[in-house]
Amino acid sequence: MRYITIALAKGRLAKQSMKILNQLGIRCDEMNDPDTRKLIFEDQEHGFRFFLAKANDVPTYVEYGAADIGIVGKDTIVEEGRSLYEVLDLNLGKCRMCVAGPASAKESLNNGSLIRVATKYPKIAKDYFNNTKHQTVEIIKLNGSIELAPIVGLSEVIVDIVETGSTLRENGLEVLEEILPLSARVVVNKVSMKMEQERITKLINDMSAIVS
Amino acid sequence: MNKRLFTTPEGVRDIYDGECKRKLDLETKLRAKLHLYGFEDIETPTFEYFEVFSEERGTVKARDMYKFFDRDGNTLVLRPDMTPSIARCAAKYFKDEKGPVRFCYCGHTFINNSEYQGKQKETTQLGCELINDSSVIADAEMLAATIDCLLEAGLKDFRIDIGDVRFFKALIAESDLDEERIRILKNFIVDKNSFGIKDLLKDENISEELKNILTNLPQFFGGVDCLDKVSSMTGNKDALLVFDHLKALYELMKVYGFEKYIGFDLGMISKYEYYTGIIFHAFTYDVGEPIASGGRYDNLVGQYGKKAAAIGMTIVTDKLLLALSRQGLLSKDTDKPVEIISSERSQSDAVKRAVELRREGKSCTITYNN
Repeated sequence: MRYITIALAKGRLAKQSMKILNQLGIRCDEMNDPDTRKLIFEDQEHGFRFFLAKANDVPTYVEYGAADIGIVGKDTIVEEGRSLYEVLDLNLGKCRMCVAGPASAKESLNNGSLIRVATKYPKIAKDYFNNTKHQTVEIIKLNGSIELAPIVGLSEVIVDIVETGSTLRENGLEVLEEILPLSARVVVNKVSMKMEQERITKLINDMSAIVS
Repeated sequence: MNKRLFTTPEGVRDIYDGECKRKLDLETKLRAKLHLYGFEDIETPTFEYFEVFSEERGTVKARDMYKFFDRDGNTLVLRPDMTPSIARCAAKYFKDEKGPVRFCYCGHTFINNSEYQGKQKETTQLGCELINDSSVIADAEMLAATIDCLLEAGLKDFRIDIGDVRFFKALIAESDLDEERIRILKNFIVDKNSFGIKDLLKDENISEELKNILTNLPQFFGGVDCLDKVSSMTGNKDALLVFDHLKALYELMKVYGFEKYIGFDLGMISKYEYYTGIIFHAFTYDVGEPIASGGRYDNLVGQYGKKAAAIGMTIVTDKLLLALSRQGLLSKDTDKPVEIISSERSQSDAVKRAVELRREGKSCTITYNN
């Protein structure tokens, strides 16, 4: 039997996804060992292989077929824009992609003036402002602590993931507009879906039964 | 020394050593196969006027083409796709021909897509086009030629999935979805994203039957039995005609003895807008993308001035070779040329020997060694 390779986005999501897979009898105890230096883990009995990757890289692994299946957030899928099948919403890690900023920035979003937008997600931000809002913006790509940008005057607003909104509130910012709802998704390589149709479809149906 | 003298630009590469020979051998074999189907060789220019490939033709997006200007200021492009060129030829040179015209080709295509790092921008495509024939036999011949070529190449484990763009068109004609919705819906179908479709159609004023079939469209792929399953779900007359066509096609594939390679995927929508009937992709293990694709394009040749039905297929030879090598199906080259060592005194003997060997069809080299 060929191995079906699953790429998991490192972190909380990987743990939650493994829990779902455990419920299906797919086990990989080695993965829970915090001291392991291994990069790839196997469940020989069921013919599955797993590896952990940086979230942004999961769609790439799946597009090229290096992984047959990937589990990753919708934000990464949209930002990377890879050619994949997006077959299941795991309803995990639910949050929203939002435009946020100080309340005073609200007006600049409505009058179409040129504003600066700081974000980790330049593609999503650009697409939203150009194609949905038809507003000319300057996008500033940052790699972390996006909330800082409007406070220190680097940008008027930010585009970022908002879960509870408490970080925003603590820094005097608020959600100004919602771009899209987010959650973890199962993505599948387009060729693997066809070549391993039976096993992959079964896995997805089983996972779907657990999460819905 | 200038670094640029050593490297090639991103997305293009040198092909050398055994790989080049394997590639040429493969191309020769596949062309010979296509000749058995009556396809005649054709070569078209590497670059053409932009208009041949422009947006309305429904090929590659304009921004993904390599564009440049000639002395008169005309915009030229390196061909991103072979089919429009062949369609243009057919319209020009066979304007009054009523009977079928068959072409096969092998050439380089160029797509300038910076987002696809790790993908080649120059690829070799080998394929064929059958013009002036709208019959199901023509569809079947095209599929059979594709399968025959893949088998000839030595591939064993592969699958060809057939879809039909008319199916989605027929379904959507029933609804009054606006253009933007249809665009989003298409993207969801391409991504096999059922939950997205469900969400999109939730508040739309369309029949439950249609909602149901559209939501499940991403799952409508598999063997021939999936056709019956789906046809029982719809009363749409045009959609049902598509099923009749696909079933007739499947019956013919059985006659060729190729049915085990055939699958169906009704949720297949091509990125090329020019397709009007069946479309298909060939898949195999170890390469994450289709190794061959094709489809029917009955309106394209007309855009160049001759109304004619047509169908074609393309094999991406680079991908096919990659699949063969990853699956360990490439034959090892064993016949190295005979080496004749010559010293100053034996030069004429060495040359005589070489001429002799070559006359017998054996390859040999002369190495000077004093």
